[in-house]
Amino acid sequence: MSSSPTEVKEATHTVEIAMPQMGISVAEGTIVEWRVRPGDRVEADQPVCDVSTDKVDVEIPAPVAGRLARIVAGPGETVEVGGVLAELEVGDGEPGRSRVYSPVVRRMAADNHIDLEQVEGHGIGGRVRKADLVAFLEEKKERPLHTESPYKPEAKPEPGPTVVDDLLGPTRREPMSPMRRQIARHMVESRRTAAHCTTVVEVDFGRLAARRGELRPRMADRGVNLTYLAFVAREVVAALERHPILNASIEGEEIVHHEDVNLGIAVALEDGLIVPVIRRAQRLSLEGMAAAIGDLAARAREKRLHPDEVQGGTFTITNPGQFGAVLATPIINPPQVAILDLEAVVKRPVVVERDGEDAIAIRPMSYLCMSWDHRALDGAEAARFLGELREGLEQGRCE
Amino acid sequence: MAELTYLEAISDGLRTEMRRDESVFCLGEDIGAFGGAFKVTAGFAEEFGAERVLDTPLAENAIVGAATGAAIEGMRPVCEMQFADFIACGFDQLVNVAAKLHYRQGQSVPLVVRLPSGGGFSGGPFHSQNPEAWFLQAPGLKVVAPATAADAKGLLASAIRDPNPVCFLEHKGLYRHVRDEVPEGEYTVPIGEARVAREGGELTVIAYGSAVPLALAAAEALEEDIEVIDLRTLCPLDDEAILASVRKTGKVLIAHEATGSCGVGAEVAALIGAEAFEDLDGPIRRLTAADVPIPFSPPLEQEVLPQLDDMKEACRELLAY
Repeated sequence: MSSSPTEVKEATHTVEIAMPQMGISVAEGTIVEWRVRPGDRVEADQPVCDVSTDKVDVEIPAPVAGRLARIVAGPGETVEVGGVLAELEVGDGEPGRSRVYSPVVRRMAADNHIDLEQVEGHGIGGRVRKADLVAFLEEKKERPLHTESPYKPEAKPEPGPTVVDDLLGPTRREPMSPMRRQIARHMVESRRTAAHCTTVVEVDFGRLAARRGELRPRMADRGVNLTYLAFVAREVVAALERHPILNASIEGEEIVHHEDVNLGIAVALEDGLIVPVIRRAQRLSLEGMAAAIGDLAARAREKRLHPDEVQGGTFTITNPGQFGAVLATPIINPPQVAILDLEAVVKRPVVVERDGEDAIAIRPMSYLCMSWDHRALDGAEAARFLGELREGLEQGRCE
Repeated sequence: MAELTYLEAISDGLRTEMRRDESVFCLGEDIGAFGGAFKVTAGFAEEFGAERVLDTPLAENAIVGAATGAAIEGMRPVCEMQFADFIACGFDQLVNVAAKLHYRQGQSVPLVVRLPSGGGFSGGPFHSQNPEAWFLQAPGLKVVAPATAADAKGLLASAIRDPNPVCFLEHKGLYRHVRDEVPEGEYTVPIGEARVAREGGELTVIAYGSAVPLALAAAEALEEDIEVIDLRTLCPLDDEAILASVRKTGKVLIAHEATGSCGVGAEVAALIGAEAFEDLDGPIRRLTAADVPIPFSPPLEQEVLPQLDDMKEACRELLAY
């Protein structure tokens, strides 16, 4: 008899989390910090710790779902590639979740706009079988998907019939999508509670443009797109460390100060806006920041963000400049106290001083517009923050 | 309807066609007075006379060659190989002459070669082979392989009436072990049509010949939602029936007693991969004999040929996948 047997990867009791191979020339990595503690439940692919190498900083994902049993390598410890970082306890009833889908499952998921991460798999190794997807679709008929995950494509609201109004002409009504309703509520609430004030500085991006041109090809080789936004984000984090009042939130009559900078990056979607958060942005290098922004923006557009990735921001950057806008007064994202708006970098004639003489030069300029909550701080503080931010960007030394 | 064994159904089909059409005759080794190695033609010489039940020398090339000549002259010969293994000696006449005459000269060659095939009875390497794949590489031949008594009768009649050379694979293990209702009198089963032997929704087992009862037994024992497709004809394959079942279940096991490499299963798998890829929910698997000659030793032969437990295990694995 001859047949091709299946390799059944049965979950064992202990699964090791090892230092992964992070590149051909990387031999070891240093634990920066653990995001989970012993006893915590982790999902498969959930980042469990941050590792720094001489080349890149990476998140180490859990290989399977389970409970963190023991941390073998603590923060600051350097471990060779392949070395054990921690042990996961995996119950027999919790096989690892396979992320490999069969052609029919992928096709059915695409046809029905299903995020397969949401579907429980009962095949070998937690594989999502056709039967599992059929059962999921049956269940979904009774319960709309977006109650479980608001970040999935939702059915387009039924457009109403077009009616002809005497004064307006032909018009059509449709209900707001859940995302629009959420944005509307949140923005009106902000306008109602926060004492909005907007301060603007003008920044010369000349040196930064040169620096970007210098760093960009190497990062591109590593798959990272270095944008002006990444530079601004990096400088914002640095400036926030010196002006912590801007990295705060207001709860009732209390100001809550945050040690971590959890940087929200507004991402425009086809049908709305979402603000994914880069957690502990202070630990990121310029390249790490660029990579994080690229990753979040891509996943936001693909609607693959986890719900906890759009919560807990402490400061927000919005970037309408990418569409050519030059000035705006953004609305604060409560309970945060400030939002920075990066406008388009455009060439303008400006007066520069050269050898003690004033001259007119063509420089790549942009406005940084920051709306801040007058309840938490005053204009001088906001101006100082923006001034330092401008200085950092104009020096163009960011690394 | 009468309940006949697979062997009796072949005799019945042959006899019915010989009574219906005087141009039908049989030839082979010891098929006359002796009635054939497995007694398929027992009593035929008495009924039809020695001229229509020809005893031949031990020369398979002569049997197939004479039959080809007779077919060209308007007869409908049915050759019996004592064992399918021996067709190797008649191969040249079959694949180089009979199979190509229509293509070369527009000459129809309505002959049938009956091939008692298969193992499981300690027959050793020369009396146990399943050589169907040899013929699938010879365009111009049709190949049928019934799994039930009714299909044995009906497909033999269709093979005799077909204008092309047809290889009729009759599994020796089914001769006396398979017994089912067989229509009396003239009865045909169309060549090229597969049969749903058991309906199911979770897994398709595609089989033919001796693998069909094995698949049915495994499905019953497992009490799972398994569909069993009996191919019945190996060339031309019933693509539509195969693809319809795969599209329903998404999982496929192809089972046959013949060896696996470049076998019927490989061809069916390629068809599914090309035409139903988007419907697959798991790997296409095969359950076949190992790629070795059939051993005499009973335990070794059991190891080489697919057994019920192997079939159950292969089904379980795919169902769980």
